[in-house]
Amino acid sequence: MQKIIKLAFIDFKLIFRDPSLYTFLFLPTLLFALIIWVVPYLVGKYDFLEPYVPLMLIVCVVENTQMFSFISSMVLVDEKESNVATVYGIVPFKERQYLVSRFLFPYFFTVLLNIILFVVQPFYHFDWMNILSISLLAALVVPLYALTLNIIAKNRMEGLIYVKALNIVVLIPLVAFFVPGEWSHLFGVFPTYWIFKSVENVTQGISAGLMLGIGFAFFAGLIWFTSRSFLRRHFM
Amino acid sequence: MIQVKNLVFQYPKNDGPTLKGLSFEIDKGEIFGFLGPSGAGKSTAQKVLYKIYYDYQGSVRVDGKSLHDWDKHYFEKIGVGFELPNHYLKLTGRENLDLFATFYPNGKKRNVDALFEMVDLESDIDKAVETYSKGMKMRLNFIRAIQHDPDILFFDEPTTGLDPVNAHKIKQHILNLKAKGKTIFVTTHSMETADQICDRVSFIVDGELVVTDTPKNLKSKHGKKAVKIELANEQSKEFPLKSLGENADFLSFIKQGEVRRIHTLEASLEEVFIQVTGKSLKS
Ligand SMILES: Nc1ncnc2c1ncn2[C@@H]1O[C@H](COP(=O)(O)OP(=O)(O)OP(=O)(O)O)[C@@H](O)[C@H]1O
Ligand SMILES: [Mg+2]
Repeated sequence: MQKIIKLAFIDFKLIFRDPSLYTFLFLPTLLFALIIWVVPYLVGKYDFLEPYVPLMLIVCVVENTQMFSFISSMVLVDEKESNVATVYGIVPFKERQYLVSRFLFPYFFTVLLNIILFVVQPFYHFDWMNILSISLLAALVVPLYALTLNIIAKNRMEGLIYVKALNIVVLIPLVAFFVPGEWSHLFGVFPTYWIFKSVENVTQGISAGLMLGIGFAFFAGLIWFTSRSFLRRHFM
Repeated sequence: MIQVKNLVFQYPKNDGPTLKGLSFEIDKGEIFGFLGPSGAGKSTAQKVLYKIYYDYQGSVRVDGKSLHDWDKHYFEKIGVGFELPNHYLKLTGRENLDLFATFYPNGKKRNVDALFEMVDLESDIDKAVETYSKGMKMRLNFIRAIQHDPDILFFDEPTTGLDPVNAHKIKQHILNLKAKGKTIFVTTHSMETADQICDRVSFIVDGELVVTDTPKNLKSKHGKKAVKIELANEQSKEFPLKSLGENADFLSFIKQGEVRRIHTLEASLEEVFIQVTGKSLKS
């Protein structure tokens, strides 16, 4: 446990000494400002925006996960590019512990960001069970994103290119809301779809249990799969 | 300590194997060296031995136990001095060392300040590694490898990128580690390094070991037991070392003019390498 904390703390130092990383810490502040002031102002002024409030909320939930998705991805890519990753390959440390230590903090911080988002948004009243479970589910984007990016990108340059692609991929399921009926479920192949659906259900006062269940199972499967592939190549 | 038999290793994407059946042993307390040209497979062989690559054929036993059977405790026993600097550039030298020190049991850890002093980095200990020169980073590699006082050490080209003074110091430190009973495996393409520190060396070319012996034996087997005399008048002649003092030809030759140079015709390790392998170390 001490090792895990120490490693998590080191990541902090790495982030705060790299301007290209720590500037991203302002992203959530921006999102909160949008949801507290800008969106209510616009909706108050233009009635036709009203039906899109759930969508805006959904975008904010996902964007909240993007900060640490980016930071964690880059910390790992840098570590690989500078060959520091190989050093982890020759220390007495279990690979699972390695993963936990790298994602523990980013994950819970992201959970916290979404809890704050649900609390400060002025549109709906969510109960705590929903807030907590949706936030726990949404934050799983962070490890999945960073692992996926590190499987495909070999260095920082490639990393920055794939970041742009993945930032779009996480939002693709939004299209589902403009697609009629049953077709929309096709977007379920994108894991973020189940986060979107959970939020949508809750805003409509419908139970999100099924959506959350599928979401957790889907994310767990994908994280298991990507982490195996990641661990096979990261330390070489 | 380490027994390797018929080690074959192929990189997944390559057509053929990089290591083509290596067999060698490293005894406890010895410095064993792989000497070979670039691309021969020196680093690859070490990577197999420190378990970065585990898809190999043949047998590798450490302390009598197959490498496959060793768990994470293996890494407490070994230290690796990587071929290239690999540190967190945004962290200081001390932070880099401390971070990796947390993975090892507390008892054996060496004092960090003393380690930095050992390689003349004491005034840089709290500076970010991005401000270090290549040679400084290599010295940091070296002390990171030994900070948990491991029994087995792998040094991949420990002196490349270092100036002669620092290279000499590192070699001296490696000899000191041997004096403490450590088992050490170095790779190098410097015949000088191999000659100075290795108890035994293997010549490796294209993934195969050509010969394994002590540097001394290799040199005496492949050199001539003779001296060459060069006079100031450009005349030169070779004489066998055997009963040189009674060799009348020799005695009269050195009286024929001013002697400019006398040298024994013992081969250098580099010459032996070229003779044995038909290849140059420099290519
Ligand atoms: N990751 C890799 N994937 C595929 N082939 C590789 C990989 N690493 C090394 N090789 C190949 O394996 C061979 C041996 O490489 P290796 O790094 O072991 O050589 P070396 O003897 O350490 O050389 P040097 O003195 O330059 O360090 C080379 O032909 C190299 O191209
Ligand atoms: Mg090498």
